[in-house]
Amino acid sequence: MTRISPETPAGAATAASAPWSIRLRDAVVRYPNGVVGLKKISLDIEAGEMVSIVGLSGSGKSSLIRTINGLVPLSSGTLEVGGHRMDLARGRELRRLRGQIGMIFQGFNLAGRTTVLNNVLVGRLAHTSVPRTLVGAYRQRDRQLAFEALDRVGMLERVYHRAAHLSGGQQQRVAIARALAQEPGIVLADEPVASLDPPTAHAVMGDLRRINRELGITVLVNLHLLDLARGYGTRLIGLRAGEIVYDGPAATATDADFERIYGRPIGDQDLLGGQSAAPTGTPA
Amino acid sequence: MSAAEYPGLPAKPGGRWKIWLAIAIIAAITAVTLAPGIGVDFSLDAIVRNWRNGAEKIGQLLVPDWSFFPRTIEPLIETLQMAVIASVIGAIVSVPLSMWAARLTNPNRITRGLVRTILNIVRAVPDLLYAAVLVAMVGVGALPGIIALVLFNVGIVVKLVSEAIESGDPGPGEAARAAGGTQTQINRAALLPDIWPPFINQALYAFELNVRASTVLGLVGAGGLGLLIDAVRTFYRYDQLALIILEILVVVVLIDWASAAMRKRLK
Amino acid sequence: MTALNTAPRTVRSAPARAITPPAKPRRPWRTVITVAITLLVVLVFWSVKVDWARTANLPADIARYLWLMFSNPAWDRVPEALWQTWRSVEMAWVGCLLGIVISFPLSFLAARGIGPAPVRLALRGLFSLIRAVPEIVIAIVILSVTGLTPLTGALALAVNGIGTLGKWGYEAIEGVHPGPIEAVKAAGGSRWQTVRWGIWPQAAPEFVSFWLYRFEINVRASAVLGLIGVGGIGDMLTSYTQYREWPTVGALLIVVIIVTIAIDLTSGAIRRRITEGSKARDLA
Repeated sequence: MTRISPETPAGAATAASAPWSIRLRDAVVRYPNGVVGLKKISLDIEAGEMVSIVGLSGSGKSSLIRTINGLVPLSSGTLEVGGHRMDLARGRELRRLRGQIGMIFQGFNLAGRTTVLNNVLVGRLAHTSVPRTLVGAYRQRDRQLAFEALDRVGMLERVYHRAAHLSGGQQQRVAIARALAQEPGIVLADEPVASLDPPTAHAVMGDLRRINRELGITVLVNLHLLDLARGYGTRLIGLRAGEIVYDGPAATATDADFERIYGRPIGDQDLLGGQSAAPTGTPA
Repeated sequence: MSAAEYPGLPAKPGGRWKIWLAIAIIAAITAVTLAPGIGVDFSLDAIVRNWRNGAEKIGQLLVPDWSFFPRTIEPLIETLQMAVIASVIGAIVSVPLSMWAARLTNPNRITRGLVRTILNIVRAVPDLLYAAVLVAMVGVGALPGIIALVLFNVGIVVKLVSEAIESGDPGPGEAARAAGGTQTQINRAALLPDIWPPFINQALYAFELNVRASTVLGLVGAGGLGLLIDAVRTFYRYDQLALIILEILVVVVLIDWASAAMRKRLK
Repeated sequence: MTALNTAPRTVRSAPARAITPPAKPRRPWRTVITVAITLLVVLVFWSVKVDWARTANLPADIARYLWLMFSNPAWDRVPEALWQTWRSVEMAWVGCLLGIVISFPLSFLAARGIGPAPVRLALRGLFSLIRAVPEIVIAIVILSVTGLTPLTGALALAVNGIGTLGKWGYEAIEGVHPGPIEAVKAAGGSRWQTVRWGIWPQAAPEFVSFWLYRFEINVRASAVLGLIGVGGIGDMLTSYTQYREWPTVGALLIVVIIVTIAIDLTSGAIRRRITEGSKARDLA
């Protein structure tokens, strides 16, 4: 195991080990087709927070999450993550910053025809040279990180399975492992449980909470179900038509607050149901 | 008129004239292509004149000259060698080119457009014309045949595979981009795994086409069975031609069958 | 079996203990097949009568010839080239029409549920036999009767067209929705009434699309048929290639490329209109 090689000066991997904060100032996102995603949002998220972002579809919560790792560029305003100006970063610098921000998607976004391991190693791309990627020769340390990340979400047993052969909940765990393998300062999750059944949804939300509590990583989760938002987040941000209409502690957010965010009475369709304190790390 | 058929019947919708127009255009073009002087000359009297001699030749097709078989072995092997080599080289070259030609794997409009334009031009020229020109460039033998087949292969495989990439799931690529990968890394680590099945499928399909095409490339001097076809047709040895055609049939059917079996297993 | 209790507090630091992943599954058959195919390919490369060392000069050679052909094409040959191209396109057109007329009834007879089994099998065998023989070989066979004329080319294309159009045709017929067929049968329709009112309305757009596509194939093939002397652009091209009049060869290739692409684009546009038009009608 070569931990010190020319490509990895010793200690380089731990350089960004602290969780990251997020600072948005007057952030505007306008898409090429004219649709406005975010209208002049200013927001501070401290390192180590677990934030639920709620809103109806089209409220701008997806734009907000994707802005933070630069998948959606800001039209104006500024964005700092972990003290770095994300909005100014381009090319190599942008990729380096993205490498410190893990992302989890509603549709899991795994390459179905390859192994779980290869999917998790995608989380190491920012730390792997292009020639190494081309021949699939990841360093031993990167593989070790991938194994650890999989172990953490209880998926180590499936490391050589094809991703497409896993259930939805298992796939989302592999996706979480992919984000963890990045050794991130922030984890962003865009509707991570919208495609899952209630017990699995609670298990995945539990995994995210563990990441936040045990590793101290800042976690931002987009949700549209208010019991999940209340149950798992420490802070709740409500978005409506691209603007922040609620920002406060998650646990004390009332139904009336949610009605304000959604702009309509809330009903059963806004609740997932089931117990929120699901066991964690359940072997599949 | 419709009212007479049934009270309250709405008028028949228009648009039938389009079909009649199409038929008229087709008839007009056909008339021109058959016109004496500028068209394909359906000179039946020539056929009648040739009939006796020609029919006898064609009759020879039914009695293949089996003693000719030993001389066909080497060209037959060369034909298959050309097809295999061209398929392998074509497949290897097609991987990066397909990725350059698809939007999902190459967001740069300029390089993508360039690759697509060049491949459209490459595809417009038939393989035998390439072979004819290449024989004049690099001399007779298997080499010009291989190059012609590679060009033919790349044209087909890149078109079909880049279309398959376009219709694929962009999700894994988005995840790899979010993890800080370069476009090359994204293509290799997140998108290539899901592209393999259509790629192998099209590469095998191109191999089937190559086997067919390689049998005739020799007609212009590019090696393989075609050289032999050219020789026997000069002497009107249709009994020997019959044997060659039979060999082509057997080889093509066998290769198609094997390739189809492999493609089915990959699904 | 919660992994988190024993795992280090942070994934970021170098692994405290090496996690042993499950053993990599072995796939002996895959290895055997991969090795066998690789050996075969190596053997073929090694045994073919090609002087691979010579290929080092190849790029320079080809660049030189491309320069000879295209730096100053012989534009004065273009009128004759266009005339010869027209001869080729004529062959393609006539061959296509003949192929359509003959293959059309045959494809119905070859479809399951229409033709009697012996006829069906015989026709399918005939189609695949024809498809296995290149057009140019068919042309060589029939030219002993028809002579070195464009008619030979047209007939060769027609014969080959029967093979491809026949196959595509019966596949399209077998692929139609069974509902309308059942409806016609239920109303007491005869076999040919079923074909006319149950199958044909569904299959017609596909048929027209195949016919156009076959014309595109014929345009390319007709240029090739010229090589054996039946006339057209291929004939002209081989002559000038043999005389090594590169500027003329360049001009001819330009004509071939432009005409082929123009026909492809036109035919492709019509095909798209037909298939999309039929979809629009299905939705209406």
